[in-house]
Amino acid sequence: MSDEKEKKVIIETGDAGKGTSELAEGANTDELEERALSVFSSERNEDITALVFCLITTFFVLLFTKWMV
Amino acid sequence: MSRVKDHVPVLLMGGLLIVYGLIVQTGILLPMMKYLQTHKSMDLQMTLTLIVGGIAIAGALVNSVKEPGNSIIDRFFLQPLGGIVLILVMAMAIRWYLEPLVEIMSEALQPLLGFGIYKVLNLNYVVLGILAGVLLTNTWGIPKFAEAGVKCARFVLKMGVIMLGARYSFAELAKLGVYSVWLVGFFVLGTVFLVLWLGNLFKQPKSMTGVLSAGMGVCGVSATVAVAPVVKAKSAEMAYTIGTILSFGIICMFVFPTIGHMAGMNPVQFGAWAGTGILNSAQVAAAALAFNAVDIKTLKVAEIFNITRVLFLPIIVLVLATWFGKESGHKLSFKSVVIDKFPIFILGFLLLFGMSSAGMFSPPSHYKGKYIDVSYNDRTQVTNEEWVTLSKAMAAGEFSALTPEQLAAVKNLIEQRQIAGNYAERNDKKAFDKVGRARMTELEGVLAAAKAKELTLSSDVKGAIKHAIKQVHKKSKTIVTLTDFMIWFFAFGLIGLGMQITKKAITQAGGWPIVMGVIAGITKAALSFFVVLWLVKDVVLN
Repeated sequence: MSDEKEKKVIIETGDAGKGTSELAEGANTDELEERALSVFSSERNEDITALVFCLITTFFVLLFTKWMV
Repeated sequence: MSRVKDHVPVLLMGGLLIVYGLIVQTGILLPMMKYLQTHKSMDLQMTLTLIVGGIAIAGALVNSVKEPGNSIIDRFFLQPLGGIVLILVMAMAIRWYLEPLVEIMSEALQPLLGFGIYKVLNLNYVVLGILAGVLLTNTWGIPKFAEAGVKCARFVLKMGVIMLGARYSFAELAKLGVYSVWLVGFFVLGTVFLVLWLGNLFKQPKSMTGVLSAGMGVCGVSATVAVAPVVKAKSAEMAYTIGTILSFGIICMFVFPTIGHMAGMNPVQFGAWAGTGILNSAQVAAAALAFNAVDIKTLKVAEIFNITRVLFLPIIVLVLATWFGKESGHKLSFKSVVIDKFPIFILGFLLLFGMSSAGMFSPPSHYKGKYIDVSYNDRTQVTNEEWVTLSKAMAAGEFSALTPEQLAAVKNLIEQRQIAGNYAERNDKKAFDKVGRARMTELEGVLAAAKAKELTLSSDVKGAIKHAIKQVHKKSKTIVTLTDFMIWFFAFGLIGLGMQITKKAITQAGGWPIVMGVIAGITKAALSFFVVLWLVKDVVLN
């Protein structure tokens, strides 16, 4: 019975995700696969960090190529 | 000791980067850089290699003595460091050596093939980066020390997508003819929805369908890269989409001019058709030139339609983000679709697009940072030697074969020493700009006619006209710098994503993307062919 409950599926995550991973059948494999291929634990954190880095970069680019020239 | 051994590759890469930076500093590599045309990036090469090399050595030394932990520095810097350095080294090799070499080889092969492989196959850092990643992962495999670093790829790619927003401006779209906006808008949205419907019909994954719809609808490779994280496309799906778009575009590039001639299209009609039906900018230009190398109008119209199509990217990103949120969400309320599921990084893309449209980076009517400025400026004038050359050629009657409009434009260039509007209208910016741009178009026509050997001009005269045209084409330094950041982010992200494409992943995607791409591409090309023949006469340029 318990075997049935904990059916596993194998997902391909490539070398970057260290080959394949075994997960519970009911798991959201797309979401888990994406997290396995990212250093961030959630997509929200990944997006916000990217946004903040870019805004800082844009600020400095504007500073050195427009405002201070 | 074993921990030190694990970090030897990173230490080695860091050391090599520093040695390379020092060699660049001595100037020994300058002749080779000039041959590769990378000498302008000499300072960047030196600075970047020394900084990355220094950080790599310092990080590897810390990793060698420190127990691995779970702090932010460990997770985001120390653990992925090996992979980050490896990808950066690959990105540098591609940007500074492989891409210029491919360009040189492509130019050498051009007389033989009749077209440049580099442009037509889009063999730039985007495609080369993905190929390098795929090659590494499917041959030697990703080295153990680099595994964690490869996981930064998607994050860095998202930063590139945000930066991409700076290159477009709404003002440019508003400035384009209403006709081309409606026509292209209809076909862009039509193709996107057709691919989404085909995906549903063939039961393809939403991520695959989403990324292919943007690629087939908008502008090929950049649209694919921008939309991939929005619809959470897998690396192999991105690669499939780019492959489908480029191969379909190559076929169109050869077939379009033949069909255009057979159907008796005029230059404006063909320009409109090529700009709507072909996806890659370089392929659009190649098809327009193959159809008519003499009349600059074909290329101009094709470019207008191509630019209109590319400028639809922000709209399509919004449409697909909403579609993907709606498709993957359970509730269909506005909050769940637009707020909860909407990718936050796309807000950054839209923010930069907004800033660019508001003119924060350059005059708002720019396209990819380039804009035309025909206002009076000492730096926009031709040189004294060029002015003497043009005056002498005019006196000698060298311009007698020109059309009256072309002749007037050359006379005015000699009179004002630069391409500009009428002096009397200098306070009416709109009228002044319009006349100045019209004169520039006439001068471009002179060069095209000379190139097609319809008239004979000395190389000095051609050089002077070319320089005058170049002088009014300005580039925004801010957008050029932001684009440089975007290029490095994309190069890093795409090499990393390439490393996630295994043979198995490619097989899993199957042949459906190609089938869907071909159906959508042919439908779009055929429909736009009839619509253009029916609707477009000569009104687009007005």
